[in-house]
Amino acid sequence: MVIEFDGVGVTYPNGVRGLDGVSLTIPDGQFVVVVGLSGAGKSTLVRTINGLVPVTAGRLTVNGHALNGARRRELRALRARIGMIFQSFNLVTRTSVMNNVLMGRLHATGTPRSLLGWYSAADKETAFDALERVGIVEKAWQRASTLSGGQQQRVAIARALAQKPEIMLADEPVASLDPPTASAVMSDLQRINRELGITTVVNLHFLDLARRFGDRIIGMRAGKVVFDGTGEEADDSVFEDIYGRSLTAEDVIAKEPGALA
Amino acid sequence: MSLVADVSTPAGRPRKPPPSPALLIGLAVVLAITLWAGLSIEFTLAPLFTDLTRGKVIIDQFLRPEWDFLLRPAVAAAFLETLYIAILASLGGCILALLLAMLASKVSAPNTLVYRITRGVLSLVRSLPDVAYGLLFVAVLGTGALPGVLALIMFNIGVAAKLTGETIDSIDPGPVEAVEAAGGNRLQRARWAIFPQVAPNYLSYCFYVFELNIRASLVLGIVGAGGIGTLLYTLLARFEYSQVSAIVVLLFVVVFILDQLSRALRRRLS
Ligand SMILES: Nc1ncnc2c1ncn2[C@@H]1O[C@H](COP(=O)(O)OP(=O)(O)O)[C@@H](O)[C@H]1O
Ligand SMILES: [Mg+2]
Repeated sequence: MVIEFDGVGVTYPNGVRGLDGVSLTIPDGQFVVVVGLSGAGKSTLVRTINGLVPVTAGRLTVNGHALNGARRRELRALRARIGMIFQSFNLVTRTSVMNNVLMGRLHATGTPRSLLGWYSAADKETAFDALERVGIVEKAWQRASTLSGGQQQRVAIARALAQKPEIMLADEPVASLDPPTASAVMSDLQRINRELGITTVVNLHFLDLARRFGDRIIGMRAGKVVFDGTGEEADDSVFEDIYGRSLTAEDVIAKEPGALA
Repeated sequence: MSLVADVSTPAGRPRKPPPSPALLIGLAVVLAITLWAGLSIEFTLAPLFTDLTRGKVIIDQFLRPEWDFLLRPAVAAAFLETLYIAILASLGGCILALLLAMLASKVSAPNTLVYRITRGVLSLVRSLPDVAYGLLFVAVLGTGALPGVLALIMFNIGVAAKLTGETIDSIDPGPVEAVEAAGGNRLQRARWAIFPQVAPNYLSYCFYVFELNIRASLVLGIVGAGGIGTLLYTLLARFEYSQVSAIVVLLFVVVFILDQLSRALRRRLS
């Protein structure tokens, strides 16, 4: 699905500007990485796409559907087609992995049935498929709390995949993971993007991961898009410009010396 | 030799400050109110000594419980009625409390208005004690188990909805956001993102409410809401103190056992 920002602004109820005149077109199937310092507006940008944050200026459309002023029902229908994963995984850790993944099928299940947890056989099959795709199907009946961080994030990806989404949003998906796990989870997201053609927008603050995985890098500062180009174009001086400071060891996930060229 | 210059406050250690004037005034006010309240109701310990001798006959009867009385079918029936009242009221009250708790927390309420109104209604419900509900329902429905159950349900809603609502306030909002992002509606969020997080606490509150109900249904029985309380009241009115004391002892044992069971279950939940 195509995502189109046209002069989009977000002003939070407390007056803080989250986004300021953002215009972007994200074509179908692209893998986009959004970078910027903390507070630059990355989360705000990603959350406007599924309407978790309401747009207050400009126009935002997803596959031609306007998010401005969308009704609750329309918004739910749109969200059903957009998967999202989060920095803190946002699993219900007290329940099984399977129950968490099946939450991705709630949108396709009638309310009375879903309250009883009475999912269709096809929905369960979809959930197993999704778990297989992230390689943890053997954990299906385990309590989510017994899994490691990397495994929990994979469950979260499976939950999003179970929606059969056309867009995947990820808000700092690897910020709580150790470097090898972070790379592995990013590879999973990339593979899913390639295999299923799901348009993917990922927020990151590690520039090496951004260069490695992004077909396209969008740099943000103070709610504005300050860079939009490919990974090759985004050299260190571009990142220094996006961050408004010189680069430090904190900006890369690979801790070996010389990672900052 | 500055070290021994001042024995009471060794060098560098601050001296304990004197009690604040506010504390002293507060204590004086509490004392004054206690005295005033005692004088107003003409509180005296005298009956403890004068009436104790007069009540010697009663005490003698109390000390000789009529154990055989406990074998009568009416006693078992009354105990069972109390148990049924407590179970029904706990079930009804806790189910309603869960629904109301969802409306009484900012996390799960559809909007601030609903949240405010529910909070208001709940504190109103809590402002009446269980006996008041008993009297109210007995007045409307006549004596029997039904007014007892209804009175306890009101009482349970007050307790369980407040506790559960506060537990919902403190859950991790992440899963709620995740279900929202996945296109789930409000009921689905409540069922799959909120309920699993509060379930252990909620069940524990239900058992707690059950413990309270066993005790409260006694008092409610006295105002005519059925069960062992009603039987006790009848016996007292007939001056059957030996039978009363037998029942009180049995009651003590039953309540103790039920409490321990319920507590053991609650401990396993947390
Ligand atoms: N719910 C909110 N209410 C008010 N201000 C917010 C809210 N969420 C984010 N902001 C503010 O909006 C700006 C952008 O935040 P965010 O999009 O979270 O940045 P990033 O994800 O790049 O760290 C920041 O100044 C932040 O404080
Ligand atoms: Mg953020």
